[in-house]
Amino acid sequence: MIKKIRGTLMPESPEAGTPPNVETPLSHAQLVQSHLVYSHGLAALLALLISAGFGLLAAIELVAPDVAGSSPWLTWGRIRYDHTQGIMLGWLGNAFFAFLYHAVPVLTGRRVTSPKLGQWLFGIWNFVIVLPGWVLVLAGYSQPLEWAEFPLVIDAFVVLALLLAAVQFLPPFFSRGLDELYVSSWYIIGGLVFTLFAYPMGNFVPELLPGARGAAFSGLWIHDAVGLFVTPLALAIVYFVIPAATRRPIYSHFLSMLGFWLLFFLYPLNGTHHYVFSVIPMSAQIGAILASSLLGIDVVIVVANLLLSLRGSGWFPRDPALRFVGTGTVIYLIVSIQGSMQAQMAVNQRVHFSDWVVGHSHLAMLGFASFVALGGLVHVWQRIPWARYHAGMIRAGYWLLLAGLVAMVADLTIAGLVQANLWNSSAPWMDSVRAARPYWILRMFTFLPIAGGFLSVMFGLFVGNVGDGLREIEQEIGLEPVAQLAPRIPGEAL
Amino acid sequence: MKRLLHMSYLAAGVGGLGFFAMSILLLGVWPGRALQDQIGRTQPQHPPHLTASEQRGRVIYGREGCAYCHTQQIRYVAADVARFGKATLAWETIYDYPHLWGTRRIGPDLSREAGTRPQDWQLSHLYAPRTLVADSVMPAFPWLFAGAPDRPLQEARDLVNYLETLGRNRELVGAEGEAFARMACNCPGDEEKFGFGAGPLNASPAMARRAGAFPKLEAGDAAAGRALYATHCAGCHGVAGLGDGPGAAGLQPKPANLAEREYSGDQIGFVLWNGVAGTSMPAWRDLAAGDLASLAEAVRGFHAAQSEPPIPRAVLDLGARVYTDRCAQCHGRNGGGDGPAAAQFPIAPANFRGRRPSIAASLRAVREGVAGTPMAPWAGELAEAELSAAAYYVRTFFVGDAR
Repeated sequence: MIKKIRGTLMPESPEAGTPPNVETPLSHAQLVQSHLVYSHGLAALLALLISAGFGLLAAIELVAPDVAGSSPWLTWGRIRYDHTQGIMLGWLGNAFFAFLYHAVPVLTGRRVTSPKLGQWLFGIWNFVIVLPGWVLVLAGYSQPLEWAEFPLVIDAFVVLALLLAAVQFLPPFFSRGLDELYVSSWYIIGGLVFTLFAYPMGNFVPELLPGARGAAFSGLWIHDAVGLFVTPLALAIVYFVIPAATRRPIYSHFLSMLGFWLLFFLYPLNGTHHYVFSVIPMSAQIGAILASSLLGIDVVIVVANLLLSLRGSGWFPRDPALRFVGTGTVIYLIVSIQGSMQAQMAVNQRVHFSDWVVGHSHLAMLGFASFVALGGLVHVWQRIPWARYHAGMIRAGYWLLLAGLVAMVADLTIAGLVQANLWNSSAPWMDSVRAARPYWILRMFTFLPIAGGFLSVMFGLFVGNVGDGLREIEQEIGLEPVAQLAPRIPGEAL
Repeated sequence: MKRLLHMSYLAAGVGGLGFFAMSILLLGVWPGRALQDQIGRTQPQHPPHLTASEQRGRVIYGREGCAYCHTQQIRYVAADVARFGKATLAWETIYDYPHLWGTRRIGPDLSREAGTRPQDWQLSHLYAPRTLVADSVMPAFPWLFAGAPDRPLQEARDLVNYLETLGRNRELVGAEGEAFARMACNCPGDEEKFGFGAGPLNASPAMARRAGAFPKLEAGDAAAGRALYATHCAGCHGVAGLGDGPGAAGLQPKPANLAEREYSGDQIGFVLWNGVAGTSMPAWRDLAAGDLASLAEAVRGFHAAQSEPPIPRAVLDLGARVYTDRCAQCHGRNGGGDGPAAAQFPIAPANFRGRRPSIAASLRAVREGVAGTPMAPWAGELAEAELSAAAYYVRTFFVGDAR
């Protein structure tokens, strides 16, 4: 039996005492570079709309392939590259940075390294990486590797920016001291450090190792992009927002840490499951499939801990940040178990290459990562005293997104089964394309609620009254102004 | 206690990085070495590199995202092997920097594309995919052309040249190289079965064959056949069967004008099952047998019987002499398209026993030749009387249906 060590999370109040190694605690306003939170949040949402627009165009072109005319700039392949790179780097990257500018100071009681560096990082990330990356891909300069489609010159700047991000966000943790570190901090450190290693591996190695040997590394990166960049930073948000918004400690700090270490042990070992039944040695494939199964178990541990921490908040908490995060957590469980399942040879053999997998990746990147990132963004927005905020719009956006997501994933999953069935029969190949058409049409229309949801959340963050975010959480939680609240774990936890 | 804690974090940090390093070693470096070893043992001597043009085509293939709909990886799975051909071996991808395996199949796998379709089909398909493949969702690539499918720019040529390399080296090693690789591979049962097992290297159902058995077609349903024709055939052969569909523009030779030829059931059955090797007419053997029978009905429906003018005996005798002198080497003594010279041509000479051109079509072919095929124009070679006599004579070979 696991001995539960409950982490407690207390509001920073005079009685709570000073956090470790801090002489005089700085106030929230002194700690957090709100303008960097805001600008990364704005960039994130704009990149989200643009990336989703690429996704829409790609979905339309599957139904009406000649819609973009004879322009090479809008051909399906290039649009498809920009869609995923925009989501990963433009949307999630910026959203994570926005969250880190809020969370790192709150977690450490220290400022990030430098606001000046923050401006450089913002500029490089958006104006040297994301925007030129998009344009170069559309102009025909790209790399035909999944989750690595931006050309190599952009990759060099991504590595530079990841280094800068490490310099910006990691020193506060080290100067605070690593003991009694809250689990979000671990995920942040892990995410930033491992991405720094994994990104060059996925983007450069397949250019140096040919064919199957390079593909072995590509397989690793396809999973590491999600497992070592997106998931840790998204989980950092989940672990941060739940206690901060519910004002209750996380259920078990022990389970949190167990989940963290298992995740970092298992995630990198999954990658080869993208190439099951390939020439990559069968023992590597089987190892990766085994790790994929174990990963599902780890996610059960992580999510059980999170859902137990959410007890009493209901399925749809009133705080829209918590609602997004809570739903994202449930979807994380679903998508991970689905992932463990489809890594199994019997399932993989049939559904691999089909729209089932496209549904799976949308469940992961939209259902889990984007819901959580939106929740994190709303959470930090509420705590910017001068930001506009409209809770109703955000809640409406939540419902639209949930409806659109469920419809799209269900649609693509069924489409994948239909395709798999036809591929395993003697039917002509084109039958599978014709059979997919009604599903592709429906998928195209699921864009309406999804785009509506994104826009609605966006309006919720840019219209409305200044300070409504703060007022809402004060009302909800019934505590002193949140500007002075900060989740922090006290000394006795782990 | 405090020191212990610090120690544990140090251990955790080292462990964390260790996990990542381990994943790279276990799933990247070690499989890479195993693959390298396998490649060293199984690869043929000096498999040809890509030419400069093929290499440029490969870059275009990557740039346009082809790999995101077309995989280049046939898995060790029965369904994959049955549909596309033998599973991909490690040595087949040794020149791929970076690999183009892909993880999604909207279109078919292209690992064995070399030799599957002729170049004019590939170019026309890149220029306007839906003119050749109804309901295809492939993007058109008109910017690789100067305004017409038969006016490719260098980029389109490069891309098609690259497509012609896919699976080429495996084809080139032949049975001997295959046996060598199989011996050296030392692979487990399934890999051996799917990587080397019996069955075609390229299993594309569209690949045309010069010869081959075909199932006898039963009676089909003409109405269903017309619907199938509209989907599968009208793009090239035109809605009325005149060989003037939108897909015909870039094809050489042009699609057959089905209205001006009378076909025997066997001839249609052969062509539907085996295609016309050397031309853009693919095989349709992946369609259900009932559908093929219905299609055959639709094709024969285009031909309207015309009153045949009586041809004087003397003219036919002249035609027979001209035919024996000039035509029989290729078309065969009995008009079966099986003369002694037939085998050396990339496109088989017409078999007049299975099809009878209209008088006009026959005269035209003899006078002007058939563009895109080895059939030469005879207008300058033969006198007008000889030309027309031969054109009349070849129409007498037709045996029609035995049924």
